[in-house]
Parts: sequence; C-alpha cells; structure tokens
Amino acid sequence: MKSIPKLIRRFVLILLLSIFLFLALNVGFLIFYTVGHSTNRGPWTAAQEAAESMEQTEAGYVMSEEMQAELESDNIWAVYIDNSSLKALWHSDYLPDTVPLVYTASEIASITRGYIDDCPIFTGAGEDGLMILGYPQKSFWKHMYPSWDYQMIESAPKTALTVLSANIVLVLLIYIGANTGLLRSVRPIVEGIQRLPEGEPVSLKERGILSELAFHLNKTSEMLQSQKYQLRKKDAARANWIAGVSHDIRTPLSMVMGYAAQLENSEYLREEDRKKASAIVRQSHRIKNLINDLNLASKLEYNMQPVVREEINAVALVRQAAADFINMDVDGRYPIEWETDENLTVCPICADKELIKRAVSNLIQNSMNHNEDGCTVYISVSVSQPVCPSENTEAGRKGADSNGYCVISVEDDGTGVSDEEIEKLNHAPHYMVCDTNTREQRHGLGLLIVKQIAESHEGSVEIGRSGHGGFGVKILLPLDIARKKEQNKEQNFYV
Amino acid sequence: MLSDYIKRKRLLLVDDEPDLLDMVVSILKEEGYENIRTAQSVAEALKTADEFDPELAILDVMLPDGDGFGLMEKLKEKGDYPMLFLTARGEDEDKFRGFGLGADDYMVKPFLPKELLFRIAAILRRSYKEEDPLVKLSGCEIDLERAEVIKGGEHIPLTAKEFALLSALYRNAGRIVTIDALCEAAWGDNPYGYENSLMAHIRRIREKIEKNPSKPVSLVTVKGLGYKLIAERQPGIDHKV
Repeated sequence: MKSIPKLIRRFVLILLLSIFLFLALNVGFLIFYTVGHSTNRGPWTAAQEAAESMEQTEAGYVMSEEMQAELESDNIWAVYIDNSSLKALWHSDYLPDTVPLVYTASEIASITRGYIDDCPIFTGAGEDGLMILGYPQKSFWKHMYPSWDYQMIESAPKTALTVLSANIVLVLLIYIGANTGLLRSVRPIVEGIQRLPEGEPVSLKERGILSELAFHLNKTSEMLQSQKYQLRKKDAARANWIAGVSHDIRTPLSMVMGYAAQLENSEYLREEDRKKASAIVRQSHRIKNLINDLNLASKLEYNMQPVVREEINAVALVRQAAADFINMDVDGRYPIEWETDENLTVCPICADKELIKRAVSNLIQNSMNHNEDGCTVYISVSVSQPVCPSENTEAGRKGADSNGYCVISVEDDGTGVSDEEIEKLNHAPHYMVCDTNTREQRHGLGLLIVKQIAESHEGSVEIGRSGHGGFGVKILLPLDIARKKEQNKEQNFYV
Repeated sequence: MLSDYIKRKRLLLVDDEPDLLDMVVSILKEEGYENIRTAQSVAEALKTADEFDPELAILDVMLPDGDGFGLMEKLKEKGDYPMLFLTARGEDEDKFRGFGLGADDYMVKPFLPKELLFRIAAILRRSYKEEDPLVKLSGCEIDLERAEVIKGGEHIPLTAKEFALLSALYRNAGRIVTIDALCEAAWGDNPYGYENSLMAHIRRIREKIEKNPSKPVSLVTVKGLGYKLIAERQPGIDHKV
C-alpha cells in the first residue's frame, strides 16, 4: 500500500517538473525569437546614429554616405529639422510627398509617439536639429501612450513574486486535491488486491473513476472464492470417501479377525491349520492398521482432523505409549528399552495428546512390522537447546525461535534401511500427497502420518539410521518453555 | 480363566449385523460367559433389557431404528449397569459423545477378540466386586477393602498413598503402570516432580508385601517406564491353570 502514494507523488512531481521545463523552454524560445527578429540595432538607436552622422558643410547639412546607403537599403526615409525654425534642413532622396517639411511643436510631439502616413516614426537628437526616420509601413507597431503608474512599476517585482507564489500554492493545492482524491479511490482497490492472496472475499463498491477496476476485482474474488469452495468440497469429499470406505470395511473385518482368532486357538484344528488362522489374524490386523492410518492420513492431509492442543508432558506420554506396547507384546519378541535421561522428568509441549501418542505408536509399530524376527526398540525423549538464537538454522526455526525442542527418538537394532531408502523416505513425497508418478512410492502410511502430525505441531521428522544398528526416527516438537519454567518453580517449592 | 462369579453376569449385545452378533456370542461363550442375549434394533434391545435385566450392555452406534447413543440414554434410565460401545464409528467426536453419556468403554471395529474380552472382564471386575476381595500375591494377601496387607497372619495397615498406588497397580495387574500414571494416582492433577517420593513409597510397599524387599517378585520395576504388580490370584480371575 505504501508504494501507491509514492507512485502518485512521483507521477505528480514529473508533471510539475515538465510544466516548469515547458515554461523555461517557452521563455527561452520567446527570447530567441525576439532577438532574432530585431534588426541589427533598434530603430531609436538608428535614428540617434543618423542624427549624429549629420555634418554641416558649406552647402548645408549632409548625411554620411554609409548611413544614407543603409537607410536606403531598408526603404527608410529621413528628415532633419532645425531646432529653432522647425524647418527641414535636410531630407533623404526618397521621401513620400505626404511628409511635411515644416513642423509645429505639437506635430513633432505627435509624430514622435506615432506615425506619419502609417509609417512608424523614430527620432534622434542631433547637434542642432532633430532627425526624423520614417520606416516602411507595417514594419513596426508603436505604443502611442507608453506611460505607467510609477508605483505599479516600482512594485512590479513584488507583484510578480506574489503572483508566482500564488501560482505555486494553487498548483500545490491542485496536487494535494488530486492526490487525495486519487488515493481515496485507489485505496480500496489496493486493499482488495492485498486481500486476494490471503483468500479473503473482496466486495468493493463499483463507483467513481476506478469502478471498472473494482468490478473486475470483485469478479476475480468471486471466482477465487468459488474455486476455493470447490477445492474444499473436493478435499472433503475425498476424505469422506476414504472415511466411508474404511467404515464399511470395519464390520466385515471384525468378523474375519474374530473367527480367525478363535480358529487360531481351536483345540480341534491341526497345528498347521492353526498357523494358517494365525496368519489370517496377523494380516487382518495389518489391514486394520492400514484402514486407521489411511483414514487419519487423509484427514490430516485435507485439514479435516481437529488438532486439540493442550499442554502435556512428552516424557509421560511417550512412556505410556511404550508401556502400552510392552503390555500388548505377549511373546516378548519386541523388548522396549527406555533410554531417557533419568533426570528428565518433564518435557513440556503444547500438542494433541492422541496424535502424538499415535505418532510414537506408529514408529514402534513400524519397527515391529519391518523386523518379523523380533528386535529391540529403543525409545528416548530429550530436550535439544537451540544452536544459537542468532543463527537462522532450520533447527533454530523449528525450535519455536529460541525455545529449543523436544526430541522423541524411536530406534531399533533390526535390519535397518539403505541410504537410498533413507533419502527417499526423507524427501520423496508419499503417493497420498503426490500428484505425479505413484508407482515407486509404495512405502507405508505409518511414516507419512508421523510426518503429518509433526508438521501440524510446527515440528519435523528426521529419518535415518539408529545408533543401535537398525532404523531410527526422531520427532522434533517445539518446547512449551513458559510452562517448563513455571514447573521448575513448582518443583523447587515442593521438593 | 474367569471366575464363575464373573462368568454368570448377564450380557446384552446389540448390533444390527446378525453375523457379527453370532461371532461375538461365540467368542464370549468360548471364554465362558453363560448369560448372553442379543438384539438387532433399539426396540428389540429395550424389550430384551426389560425381560433380561442385563448387568453389562455392549452397544453398536448405528442401528436401523435409531442410534446407540439414544439407546444408551434410554437403558440408563431403566437401570444403572456398565455399558460399552463396540462400533465402526471411530471418530473422536463419537468417542467423546459416548464417554460423555457415561459409557464405560468405547471400542472401534475391527477389534481383537482378546482385547474385547479383556475390556469386558475389566469392566465387570470394576463394577461387581466379589465377596472375597483379597488380592493374593506370592508372599501375602492384600485386602483393598480394609486397606491392609495380611502377611503371615499379621495385618499391616496401608497409608493413603500406598493404598492409592496399590489400587492403581492392582487395577492393571500384570501390566506396566507408568511412573507418571502412578504419580497421578497418588498426587492428583499436577503429578510432576514426585518421582523420588514415588520411589520411597514403592520401597515401603515392598517392605510390607514382599518376602525379600530387596529382591521383589510381586511389585517389579520396569526400568525407566514404571512398575508392575504380579498377582497370583485376582478377584474375578481364577489362576487355576
């Protein structure tokens, strides 16, 4: 928005500058023109020079030949009259008949100001006479009464300055008026354009000089809103479709699981048949997990999963998730090692309890799924301080600016994965969120969900190798530091 | 194996899917439950409940003539007995609604039969206490009603905290109870910073219940995670294998 007044200011400044430039150019041109049109010297000077060139000889008064030639070349006639008798002492060879040779004082006063027979007259004072030069008709225009009020002339500079400043003030007023007027009509449009990328609806009044612009802006906004609505509808439909399908699978799958579990323990079946039943149980359990994952992943992807965040202790939450798994792991093929520092009893985060527990469970389940022969799962929670608040590292940003973050680590000593796979897991998009080739991205939904959950909490996920030889994943979540400080205080109080 | 006392409880099963009803009934029967009735609609369930006077109801949410939430409200008006939902509706809001109405548990299909049985047994044990409430451990018995330990004929009283901790452990006998859950059971809503106190209390409980407190066999530590109570016989479950 700041750029608009700047733009208008610049525009008006250019306008003002060009006005001054034009003025200067015009004045210059005028001066050049008048100078170009004036003869070598002014007619008054010529008359003076002609008067001074008169010489008294024995035969009477004579004009120098050069001067005569000059006058003749310009078709100027000349009469030199005596100061005392007012009679012509000399006249040029060329002289219209109408020009008198004897003058009265009033005639002299009159012709000095004006014309004789439409010929503009200029006079110059000689030694003992007056030189009258008659220029050709229409060669000069003469002001007959060239006199002004003295005070007016005296105050002319002041008047000129006043007029100039009045002009400047007027121009400024026009500028301010035009500027504010323009700004007033531009502002809603600019604000409307700014609202567009934020996805807000724009509805401007379509009037004034920019009504057409407002109309098109309204139209654009309408279109964007409709697209947004359609997109949301589509996403919701997709998520609902997945939810619907997974819902419909649940009841039949319950029956498969239930009967298979019964057969698994049936005393009437042969050992090998019981094994087959137990394979059905295991596989239907996988389908069950897949349905749950698919449903949650699609909801997280389309922002339809409510994330209810509250202050929770990550240590307690992860410990519970680990205990749940141990409680369920009947045959003890997947022992869990708790590797959290004993002194870390509280790691406060602001998060959705169920979702974080789900993420941790998914990681533990992931280790189990990929190590059918059993493996040890190592779980830890730690606090990672920001590297340095001034360093704008990704880790620093992830750590809620400068608060540091809670690191939940789930590792195993199982088969592990290749570098190539780690790279793929870290960077290649999952088929659920990818719009291009889907054939080569068939890894499970478990890790995608972990990533989605971390992202919905402004956190991140690092997939890599475990220090224990297998696969390892770290979830980084921003710490809720205010709460931690409060708790430290409370602890000190109680202990 | 379940005790006969628990097995004799009257269970009402409501689901619109007859095949599923058959399966759950067969699972329950296999486990030893004797009194099971089923219904496929709200109307049928209400009628059956009147005749049968169930002691536990397992309800589906989606029924042809109404929903399980409404059914639960109506059943609760008639009798106060535990109810749990077993449904394909796994949304959080459905779960919250179910628990909000007073459900004792909420299970989402598909489910593992073992889990269903475990939860049913847990609810029944919680709701219907046996006449003999003694928890038998390897070296002693615990009388939770009187909050005392009976060891070699001697009655040792439990402190309030010890009782709270043992109750929490007993409710989850055979399973790990995390440090945090135990602290919460003993110290309530703000259970942080009590880890050392917890260890002290556990030590004192062991002195009361174990033959050799330095080598515990009934109250065992699961390093870093929590503790586990190993009972030889729990009320409601026979360990006469």
